[in-house]
Formats: sequence, C-alpha cells, structure tokens
Amino acid sequence: MMIIQLVLVIVFLYLLLKFLANPASTKMRAWKKIIGMVLVMGAIFVIIFPQTANDVAHFVGVGRGADLLLYVLTVAVILAGINLYIKSQQDNQRLVKIARKQAIMEANIRYKQL
Amino acid sequence: MNKHVNNDTYVIIPVYNEGLHIGKVIKQLKKTFHNIVCVDDGSSDDSAAAIVAAGATIVQHATNLGQGAALQTGIEYALQASNAQYFITFDADGQHRVEDAQKMLGYLKQHPVDIVLGSRFLGAAQGIPVLKRMVLRMAIVFSNITSGLKLTDAHNGLRVFNRVVAEQLKITMPDMAHASEIIHRISVRKLRYAELPVTIVYTDYSKAKGQSVLNAVNISFDLLLQKVSRK
Repeated sequence: MMIIQLVLVIVFLYLLLKFLANPASTKMRAWKKIIGMVLVMGAIFVIIFPQTANDVAHFVGVGRGADLLLYVLTVAVILAGINLYIKSQQDNQRLVKIARKQAIMEANIRYKQL
Repeated sequence: MNKHVNNDTYVIIPVYNEGLHIGKVIKQLKKTFHNIVCVDDGSSDDSAAAIVAAGATIVQHATNLGQGAALQTGIEYALQASNAQYFITFDADGQHRVEDAQKMLGYLKQHPVDIVLGSRFLGAAQGIPVLKRMVLRMAIVFSNITSGLKLTDAHNGLRVFNRVVAEQLKITMPDMAHASEIIHRISVRKLRYAELPVTIVYTDYSKAKGQSVLNAVNISFDLLLQKVSRK
C-alpha cells in the first residue's frame, strides 16, 4: 500500500467517525447516515483500488477516473452550496419569528395592551 | 385634532435609521391619524427616541431584519387591536404624502376593494430620476407577467388595506422583495385591488437612500429562489 493511500484511508475513517459521533447526527435522518457511510466506504474502496474509478469513468463515457471525480465533485459542491443557502434562509426566517415575537411582547408590556 | 377620527385605522411605518425625518413624518400623520405604529428595525441612530418624542407607538426589533419583516411585525401588532379595521403602510423617509393616504383610505371605504396600492406612474412623480424610472418600468412589466395583475407601479410603499388582507398577508420576504411578495399574494388570494395615483417626493435624500438599481436584480433572484425552495 502506498503512503498516500494509507493517509487517505485514515483521514476518511476519521471523518466517518466524527460524522457519526457528532451529537447533531442523532437527529439526522437514518438515510442520510447510510448515504454518508456508503460514500466513505466507496471512497476508501476507490483509494485502495484506484483502477475502479477509471473503469466507472470509461463505463459512463469519461476518459479518466480523475476527470469523473472532478465532475462529481463540481456537482456536489454546487448542491451543497444551494443546500446551505436554503438552510440559511430557513434559519433567518426563524430569527425573524423570534425577534418579532419579542418585539410585540415588549411593546405589549410597554403599552399594557393584551 | 379629534382623537376619534380614523380610530379604526392603523398606520404602519417601518423605520430603519430615519432619525432625521421620522419625527416630521409622524407629526404630519398625527393631524389625520390617531394610531401610528412605528417598527424600529434595529436602528443604530436616534430613530427610537424620535418616534417616542413624536408620540407614536414603537415596536422594536432587537436586530435589523429588513423592511418586509418590519411591516409584518407592525401588522401583527396592530391586528391585536380589535378596532383595527384599516391598515396603511407608509414610508419613514417623508416621500409619501398624508393626503394620498387619506384619499386611498376613502377609496377603500367607498368601493368594493380589499387593498388600494399607490402608484407614482398614475400620479405626478416629482423629480424621478431617469434610470430609476426605467428600472421601475421594467420591474412592473416583469411583475405583471408573473402575477397576472395589471399594475403600473410594483414597488410603492404606500398601501391601504382592510383587516382581511392584514390577516392574510404574512410577509415572509424580510427585505425589499416583500413588495413583489404582496403583489403575488394579491394574485394568489384573488384579492380585490385598486391603484390610485400618488405623488412621491423625490428629494436628494430619498434618492440617495432609495433602492439601488442593482437591488432589482437581487429581488428577482430572491423571488425565483423562493419559488424553487417552496417545492
């Protein structure tokens, strides 16, 4: 095994552990965890048997495994960005609701309405 | 001033750093309207003090949330009052005229409509900058196509509506995109609407403060993304 393979496998295993041990992950849906695990196992498999990436690339009509990886990565980054944007919008809506409730409560106390 | 005049009407003013003008605006409104709710949207200047000094009701956001959010807060606050039958949204910077608000309120009371929108293109806009005019024209074309309404002005802050509309508006766009959201809501809920000419006073101050041309692009994107993210 090459050093780079060893390093990458260790890093991915560490990330998987972190991902599953994260307290937030208990709230995460089971299918998201499964997808995460499958992705990490797939990554480790490709690291150990790099030729499989090339085979898959050829199968879908891409020249090299590295190119396929780049394309998949590009799509993944864009999806993650959109996901993050929607999440932040939702968070902002929550903030608005809380601040509004607080503002109205404060005004009601001030003007003794209610 | 007769305190019972327009007691069923609540004027809602979103205020963000308008300490210089809000006092004057409230004073002018007070001659006609008794219930004035200013939503201080996390101003960092002396807006809050000016609002209190002028004798308007103040509802304060702990942090700046945007004009749309401030409007919704003001509407929800006013809805708590059972005597609130009519609602007026008014800008804090002095670009709207009280006479126009009064005229629109009279129209709403006498005609079978739920909401009256102000239009600067039906009326005499004083000193409207050429570029701004072009952008607003384009915005209304876009807005009419997507909403199916026939309006002449898409982003006018002066509106008068009844309690039914106030209960249904539920503005979720925190920033300037709320104007398009309101039009969208009118279209979806099939609210009865009318447009009346209003005069906008474009001072150098309001020109400098008003929505920038680039903001029109932001608004379009927000609305598109809103449609995408809502299934």
